[in-house]
Amino acid sequence: MDVAIINSFIASVTDVMPQLGFSSINIKNQLEKSKKIVASGIVLTLGIVGDKKGNVAYAIDTEGAKQIASIMMMGMPVEELDDMAKSAISELSNMLTANASINLSNESINVDISPPTMLTGENIELSMSKDQVMCVEFDIDGIMLEINVALD
Amino acid sequence: MENIRVMIVDDSTFSIAVLKRMLQKDGLEIVATAVNMSEAIQKAQEIKPDLITMDMTLPDGDGIECSQAILKHLKDTKIIAISAMMDEEIIQRAKKVGIKAYLQKPVDQTDLDSAIERLFEGEELYGVLKNNFEEAFKESIFSFLKREIGGEVVIEKVADHAMTTISSGVSVAIGIIGRHDGRLIMDMSEATALGMTRKILQDEGQQIEDAINFLSEFTNIIGGNACSLLNGLNRSFGLRVSPPTVFRGKDITISIGDIMSESFVIKTDLGDVFMNVGFQKGEVAWM
Repeated sequence: MDVAIINSFIASVTDVMPQLGFSSINIKNQLEKSKKIVASGIVLTLGIVGDKKGNVAYAIDTEGAKQIASIMMMGMPVEELDDMAKSAISELSNMLTANASINLSNESINVDISPPTMLTGENIELSMSKDQVMCVEFDIDGIMLEINVALD
Repeated sequence: MENIRVMIVDDSTFSIAVLKRMLQKDGLEIVATAVNMSEAIQKAQEIKPDLITMDMTLPDGDGIECSQAILKHLKDTKIIAISAMMDEEIIQRAKKVGIKAYLQKPVDQTDLDSAIERLFEGEELYGVLKNNFEEAFKESIFSFLKREIGGEVVIEKVADHAMTTISSGVSVAIGIIGRHDGRLIMDMSEATALGMTRKILQDEGQQIEDAINFLSEFTNIIGGNACSLLNGLNRSFGLRVSPPTVFRGKDITISIGDIMSESFVIKTDLGDVFMNVGFQKGEVAWM
């Protein structure tokens, strides 16, 4: 079951990112982490309820977030992470999670998702709802995106 | 379903007459009728109806183009396609331009009623939610703190909160999922979290790890109780809370400006608690 869950999130990234204009999407690392995760830059978390319950947290460093926001805004230069850029990143987390939930529904796991909560800072310590967190690190055109999924 | 202003677009005056009777039966106000695309676009802009019933075949265009042109200017107007033709391709095209429902002619009164009800129920529910969520969350946090911590508990609403807020040390986010989705954020300093944990458990040995567990359960209880109160007002809310995520660190900024939300500072003897809660209007599901 866990494989179906994480694969739904992986498929979401590999489906959605090219649509936004990214070309190379590679998995750098896939591992299971303990409950506590440390991230710097931007962290977005969305709640999930339904057949499975939990949350997902996306982590991107600030530079990467700027690059993603810029590509999402049709190449507009993004000097700093202003409200517009943050809104783009927030929308991305929403798209990725919504897409993953559609993939999950194809596996007969029906879930609904909440709006994202966005935090920025250095060395943010995250405690997710489950002791075992599935984590996938992506390299997307040189940008590191980390997805942490705690669902059960 | 009162006060809903409707425009009927159909090239057949017979169909207009039939729809008119059905809609009037529901107590809807027919504010305009149009028999072709250009008349429909012009009247829609002038009259700004809440609801439009749209025929798919019009003499000077099709219902999809016509809907697209109307929705470009009237974001809040809801369109129900009503046509003799109905196949998967046209349904997909209708969805894509923002048509909310598709009914096949001859239209059944019950189908029409339930489509309209579901389209507008969401609006009404959002209004009820907007008017009641503050009180529900305030009541929930007040009674918890009063019961578990005691002493003085004063809730102050933050009049104009900024787009972001700086964390005092530990933050908890909970997603709220239902007919309209939302989010609850609770924030306090480590000292306050520790103080509350020690007080509730009557154990001075409690450490920050325990405080994180406390805060996560605290937020879960506040969110769960408040959502139960709101679900009690109207079962259709169907609000559920997702498990919490706790964040801890120095100089963490939390974005709160992206959805309609309210912020509160709750003053207690053990320190301040910051609470932000908000909802966004759920999309009307396709019918």
